[in-house]
Amino acid sequence: METTSTLFTLAEKREEQLSRVLEKIYSAAQPGAVYSEPVAAGNYTVITASEIAAGGGFGSGLGFGSPTTPPQQQGEASGREAQPTNSGGGGMGGGGGSSGRPVAIIIIGPDGVTVKPVVDVTKIALAGVTAWGTMLMLLRRMRKASKR
Amino acid sequence: MRRFNDLVQWHKASGQSVVVHDLTLTPQSQVLIVRFPWGAWVWHRPTAIQVERNGRVERLPIVDLTRLIQLGLVGLGVVIITIVSLEQFARRKENVA
Repeated sequence: METTSTLFTLAEKREEQLSRVLEKIYSAAQPGAVYSEPVAAGNYTVITASEIAAGGGFGSGLGFGSPTTPPQQQGEASGREAQPTNSGGGGMGGGGGSSGRPVAIIIIGPDGVTVKPVVDVTKIALAGVTAWGTMLMLLRRMRKASKR
Repeated sequence: MRRFNDLVQWHKASGQSVVVHDLTLTPQSQVLIVRFPWGAWVWHRPTAIQVERNGRVERLPIVDLTRLIQLGLVGLGVVIITIVSLEQFARRKENVA
C-alpha cells in the first residue's frame, strides 16, 4: 500500500518536474529570446540578435523487490506477528543546458537601419584548426600510402 | 505512434514590433524544436528584421558570418581532400596500366 502511494507521488513529481523543465526549454523558442530590448544611446538605438540553443531531459525509475519477512526475534519482541514488508526504491533526475551567441547588431540611427554581423574569431579559429588539421593528416596518410 | 510533425517542428516566428524614431521594426526568426519523450531541444536563430517606414516595407536579412566562415573552411577542406584523392586514384590507375 505504502509502495503504491510512493509510486503515485513519484509519478506526480515526475510530471511536475518534466513540465517545469520543458517550460524553461520552450521559452527559448519565443521570438523575444533572440532579440534583445532596444538600447538607446544618443541618436542611436541598438538591438542585439543572438542564436540560442537549449535542451534538456528528465528521467525516473522505480524498482520493487520481493516481499521480505522481518527476523522472527523482532516480531516476538514487539509482541506482534511478523508481517511481510514490500521493498523497493525509486529515483529521478534531469538536466539541461542552453547556449547563446550574438549573431548581429542592428543599429537604428538617423541614416536608417544597418545590420552589422558579429564575427566570433575564436570559433572560426577552432573550426579552421580542426578542419585543416584533419585534412593535413589525411593528405599525409594518403601520400604515405601512395608511396608504398 | 507519434507523427513526425509532433516530434520535429521547423517554423518561422515573428516577434512583437518595436517603434524606434519613425520606424517600425519587426524581428523575424526561425525555430527548430525536437521533442523527446523525456525532454526537448530548441534551436532558435534570427533571420531578418522587417523595417517599415512611411508605409514602405524593407526586409534586412541577418547573416550569421561566423557560421558561414566555419562551413566554408570545412567545405574547402572536404573539396581539397576529394580533389587530391581523385588525383591519386587516377595516378594509381595509370601506373597499373
